[in-house]
Amino acid sequence: MSALAEILFGGLFQGSLYAMMAVGLALVWTTIGVFNFSHGVFMMLGAYVAWQLVELGLPAAVAFPVAVVVMAGVGWILQASVVRPLIGRPNIVLVVVITTLAAGSLIENGALTIWGPRSKQIPALIDGNATIGGVGVSLHQIAIIVITPLILAALWMFLNRTRLGLALRAVAQNEDASHLVGLNVTALYGLAFAIAASLAGLAGIFMGGYRFMSPVMGSDPLLKALIVVVFGGISSISGPIFAAYLIGFFEAACSYYFGLYWTPALLFGVLILTLMVRPEGIFASRSRGLA
Amino acid sequence: MTDTTSTMAPIRTAAGTPIAPGRTPWKHEAVGFVLGFALLALLPLVFGDTYARHILIMAFIYAIVASNWDLSLGYGGVFNFGHLALFGIGVYAYSLLTKLAGLDPWIALFASGIIATLAAILVTIPILRLKGIYIILVTFGFAQLVMQVILSQSDITGGTQGIVRIPGLYWFDHNMVRDGKSAYFYIALALLVASTLFLRVFVRSRAGASIVALRDNEEYAISRGISIVRQRMLTLAASAFFTGIAGAFYAAYQRNASIDVFGMSLATIILSMVLLGGTSTIYGAIIASFVLTVFAEWMADFGAWRPMITAVLIIGVMLAYPSGLAGMIKAAWGAVAGRIKRPA
Repeated sequence: MSALAEILFGGLFQGSLYAMMAVGLALVWTTIGVFNFSHGVFMMLGAYVAWQLVELGLPAAVAFPVAVVVMAGVGWILQASVVRPLIGRPNIVLVVVITTLAAGSLIENGALTIWGPRSKQIPALIDGNATIGGVGVSLHQIAIIVITPLILAALWMFLNRTRLGLALRAVAQNEDASHLVGLNVTALYGLAFAIAASLAGLAGIFMGGYRFMSPVMGSDPLLKALIVVVFGGISSISGPIFAAYLIGFFEAACSYYFGLYWTPALLFGVLILTLMVRPEGIFASRSRGLA
Repeated sequence: MTDTTSTMAPIRTAAGTPIAPGRTPWKHEAVGFVLGFALLALLPLVFGDTYARHILIMAFIYAIVASNWDLSLGYGGVFNFGHLALFGIGVYAYSLLTKLAGLDPWIALFASGIIATLAAILVTIPILRLKGIYIILVTFGFAQLVMQVILSQSDITGGTQGIVRIPGLYWFDHNMVRDGKSAYFYIALALLVASTLFLRVFVRSRAGASIVALRDNEEYAISRGISIVRQRMLTLAASAFFTGIAGAFYAAYQRNASIDVFGMSLATIILSMVLLGGTSTIYGAIIASFVLTVFAEWMADFGAWRPMITAVLIIGVMLAYPSGLAGMIKAAWGAVAGRIKRPA
């Protein structure tokens, strides 16, 4: 019983974090058609900004939202500086990989210079522990499991029920037509990056609440998010969300039964197998667009 | 499959120097090749200290890895992100073959190239029918997979501790330790010469032309009877051999192997060399390897500022010169040649 509870809880918790990361990656990919390799760094930066604000004396309830807004700005700036100027280049996919990697390295080392290598921790969302089904869990992790689906649902509502969200989906489906009907495509590109960066920043704040932060803390979640988007299909939003939870459960089960060392290898095995059988992802329809 | 490049055209047209029709006559290239490498061979006369020679040896190794990556990335158009894994496989193959199996270092060096080639063929299988971003993701995953396997088999590979005291190369009775690194310098240079010669001959051959055709117009190339499966496998296998040897040489030279060779930072640096140098040139990647290695050493005292400055430099060049250093040199040469031809 406790084994099942442990896997279930671990899967929900890891899945929540992966979903927050993967949705941002997928959003940027569907709208702009580039892959943002500095996404993991957004996560790290969000956590550090929140830490800095708390350190300055702001209460967590104020500091966290402010940090998320700051991250939206960072996402916008990154998009405007290293992605937008490249749009229209024939080899944009490749060049954006290198510019976002370089920007990620810049931010990572910047954080190292500003905040130093010493580990830091930000306050948990809720303090305290609980025992559910024989498994000891922290209320912080429970809070993440509850909050994440709400945020993702809000994002879904935004993309499907508001004019701005519909405009974003329109750009994802057809840039040329979006230009023709008068949408500000450049601004929407920025918006996609801003949303992605704030989601990643929030994931970083979540992570910084239960684990020590370091300037390289985003690289492992980015890797997992990569697996998730490949597994779930990169050209949608719902696919990566389901995939994130599936991968979360898979990872929790693997580390329970096979040990921590074999889990990443098994995950990548699944990834490669998925791509050989269904390269567009297990949940993806064959059309491109946000759904 | 998502097609991102064609729908983005209206915002800004591609800026870059148009590629001149026809290629440099091979005789011109051969002269430049011999002169260039002869100059490199004379460098130890100028740089007597071991530190400068060490930088040059590292630049040679990076140049081999970067120029071979250019074969699959630039010429083949395969967004292969697992190239550093092939280098890492070379490092570990050599280490294990010499240390555990007790194989002769030179045979192990050669065998590492073969093993890397086999690994490249293995990774080609899942990406045979994939495109663009999915190739990036699978090859990236492959690199991580290799790293995780090495980490998990820590009783053989040393895990995060790595392997130390790996047997080095030897040259008859020559003392490789007390010669101011000149033997390693010339072995590294010889490897770079062999690798570059191989790459240039390959890209000028019919096979080279066919992989470029696949890159530029896949449907048309296939309709003309070029097999994408065979050519893609050939491209990756060909780019793997000298990469694996470079990894083995790296292990023999450093005398230790660590998991760092799979890390993102090395991959980023080498990828910058390929892109900074200008893709599908081979020489561009080699020039950029020298520039970046020397530049990185020159800034050795900058601490965390060094990767930051490097990152800004990479972004700057990518934004300003889409065709990289090779494009810059070509443009400058064109301007100079234009002046000479039209006397004022």
